[in-house]
Amino acid sequence: MMDDELLELQRQFEFAQQAKSSIRLSERNLIEFVQKLHELRFIDFDLLHTVSGKEYITPEQLRYEIVSEVEKLGRVSLIDLADTTGVDLYHVEKQTEHAVADNPGYMLIQGEIISERHWDSVAEEINERLQECSQIALAELATQLHIGVELLTSVLEARLGTVVKGRLEGGQLYTPAYVARVSAMVRGAARGITVPTNLSALWSSLKHLLQEIDGASGVAVEGSFFQGLFNIQLKECQILGSLRAGIYWTPSVFSNAQKECIDSLFSQNSFINYETLNKLGISQPVQFLQSRYPDVLALVNAFVHPSLTEMVNAAVEDAIEHGSCDAFVKDLYDRLEKELEIFNASGSSSMSLSDDVSSASDTKMTHDSSASLELNQTPSESTGKRIVEKGSKKKKGIEDPLTALKPLANYLRPLLLNSMKEKWKAILMENANKMKQILDDMQRKVDEAFLNLQLYEKALELFDEDQSASVVLHWHLLGALAPSIADSLFINLEIYNKLKSGLQVDNSQNSELFYLSPGERIGLVKTFPGSLSKKAIAVAESLEGKRLETFMVALRDLAEDRLAIIKFCTFYSSPYDLISQVSAETDPISLLAKVVSLLYGQFHNKALQAPGRAISVAVTRLKDKLDESAYKVLTDYREATVTLLALVAASSGDVSTLGFLPEMPQLKGLALTTSQSWS
Amino acid sequence: MEGWDPNTKSTLTQIPLLTVKAGPRDGAWAQRLKEEYKALIAYTQMNKSNDNDWFRISAANPEGTRWTGKCWYVHNLLKYEFDLQFDIPVTYPATAPEIELPQLDRKTQKMYRGGKICLTVHFKPLWAKNCPRFGIAHALCLGLAPWLAAEVPILVDSGMVKHKDDAASSAEA
Repeated sequence: MMDDELLELQRQFEFAQQAKSSIRLSERNLIEFVQKLHELRFIDFDLLHTVSGKEYITPEQLRYEIVSEVEKLGRVSLIDLADTTGVDLYHVEKQTEHAVADNPGYMLIQGEIISERHWDSVAEEINERLQECSQIALAELATQLHIGVELLTSVLEARLGTVVKGRLEGGQLYTPAYVARVSAMVRGAARGITVPTNLSALWSSLKHLLQEIDGASGVAVEGSFFQGLFNIQLKECQILGSLRAGIYWTPSVFSNAQKECIDSLFSQNSFINYETLNKLGISQPVQFLQSRYPDVLALVNAFVHPSLTEMVNAAVEDAIEHGSCDAFVKDLYDRLEKELEIFNASGSSSMSLSDDVSSASDTKMTHDSSASLELNQTPSESTGKRIVEKGSKKKKGIEDPLTALKPLANYLRPLLLNSMKEKWKAILMENANKMKQILDDMQRKVDEAFLNLQLYEKALELFDEDQSASVVLHWHLLGALAPSIADSLFINLEIYNKLKSGLQVDNSQNSELFYLSPGERIGLVKTFPGSLSKKAIAVAESLEGKRLETFMVALRDLAEDRLAIIKFCTFYSSPYDLISQVSAETDPISLLAKVVSLLYGQFHNKALQAPGRAISVAVTRLKDKLDESAYKVLTDYREATVTLLALVAASSGDVSTLGFLPEMPQLKGLALTTSQSWS
Repeated sequence: MEGWDPNTKSTLTQIPLLTVKAGPRDGAWAQRLKEEYKALIAYTQMNKSNDNDWFRISAANPEGTRWTGKCWYVHNLLKYEFDLQFDIPVTYPATAPEIELPQLDRKTQKMYRGGKICLTVHFKPLWAKNCPRFGIAHALCLGLAPWLAAEVPILVDSGMVKHKDDAASSAEA
């Protein structure tokens, strides 16, 4: 079935097949051809080829392609360029350098070409984000954009105010609204301050406040930001005051108030103390006042207005007339002599004698009036002044200042003495309470210790025939227990005496037993008054001796002295204490000591306190009192403790890690059962 | 289309695809034939412009079910030409036409009895997947062309095929 279309197609097909092929050169041919041309200088420019080897490209074309790429993307890395153009990186870099040199809007940074327009768009994005967040940290932006912070800063600074509506401060970007808000906070804080402050403390509290307000979303604001805003406001006179070294701020409110206060004080009283000035916060009173009141007199402790001089002169004359200030005048005369010497020595002849009198009397007057102020004796002040006024009738220049001022002195002296006595009484009252407390404390402690000592003293009698053991036992008691009693007694006596004489004593030492070195002890007891001292010395010396009885005797002696206030009660037994201690004891060594003590108490009716060395002797003595098994338990236990101690000493020397001996319950049982018969 | 030469692939994609699914005994065979011609014309034009013209064929009967022609291959700057023929099978286009080069019968192992070329394992699945879009042009491009490129150099180098300029004729059994 052939139709026209088919025939037509057939014909076309034949035609197509018969058509001549276009002749093509192979790629190799072409490359050789081009190279030949290049050699023959038909092509006299550089020819670069792509990495794939399929294309030739001229340098200009490469540059053109690079530029178009940068224009398109804004920011291209050289490596990407090498990929897109298909040319080796070396050539791309070369052409890039040309492109950047030719075009001022481009910059080559860390292997990327970036155009200015790109920065503009980036700045716009940053601005949008800034308006949303109100503050952004530059570091965050820089990491997001994969550029350095310095570059970002330079880019942003160029565009602050135009594209980026914000403020760059200390590595952060802020919106104007935020800046205004923080400015308001700074202004409020600065205006709220009324005393000189260190601004850094203020900024740190503002920082905390901001963090509380903003919560987690806010970025931490630096103190320099606040300081910058503060400086701006200061310049614009929104905040008034003076700034020293950029940190110390004195509001003008404060300085004004200060000045007013000083002025009013000075005008009211015609004099002003340096101390008052210091309290008001002026560190250099002399310079300050002299700059303000040039005609003022600068004395040692105060400033005095010249008008006061006249008042004082008048007072002096009046006092002389009344003849009521002898002692005062005597004192004044001494001072005058001194001042005269000074003035004569310095050779200032411009001061006349009357001026000396006035200035010296000024000093004395102000001293007395201020002293009287402190004692709250207002009547004396007003009467003093009345005397002063009365004296205004007399004329200046009295030749014998001594008799003139004597009445005044006589009047003031008793008043001063009275006030002193009252103060004294108050201190003594206070001390009395303390003394009573010390007394009670001391009595209690010494009672306990002395009781124990008596207990143990009785037991010593058992060992009188055994010299070595006896020596050891005495020495132990003298060395361990006796000094603590003696020392606390001495120290408390000293405190008591001090309190009695009205001295202040600090309270920190009153709760514990004390330990003095022998030298300290002797020094202390020598300070005790009279016979107390002698007896106390005897006690102290007995501590260095060998026998306990000497100590006990000396101590009893001391107690009987009328100045000593501690009584020593007599012995009475209390065994129950020891029994409970034994059941509760966990340390193997002290258990042994206590058990021995208990057993002794039981068998001899005398409690024994023995150091380690004497324990063996003590145990041996118990042999005839205990039955065989019990005695064996005791000796075994003793040997075990000795071994344990030796082990510990060999290993670490730390006795506190002795731990638990297995025989302990047995020993406890032994002690407790035999103590049933305790009387 | 893995395992194909990239040039083959690129060429293949440029040959127009056929739409009519009709065998020689179907009513729409005429339509199919027209499409075949169109594809062949396009393929030939492509070859001409690429300077890669390598076959001449024409329909041996008016129905267009038998085709004959020539194909050639240039190896070492020498052109080796062969006769070719093929029938359109009844189950066309589901079944690809079996192209024959009678001159090379029994000269190569890559040939069935009667000179039918033996194609790679990739051919049949690809043809089946693309039925009925592939036609005669595609069969030539995918089947014969790679076969020639693979076998002729071996045949020439082994001396099985000699150039016509050489006096020796092709060895016949």
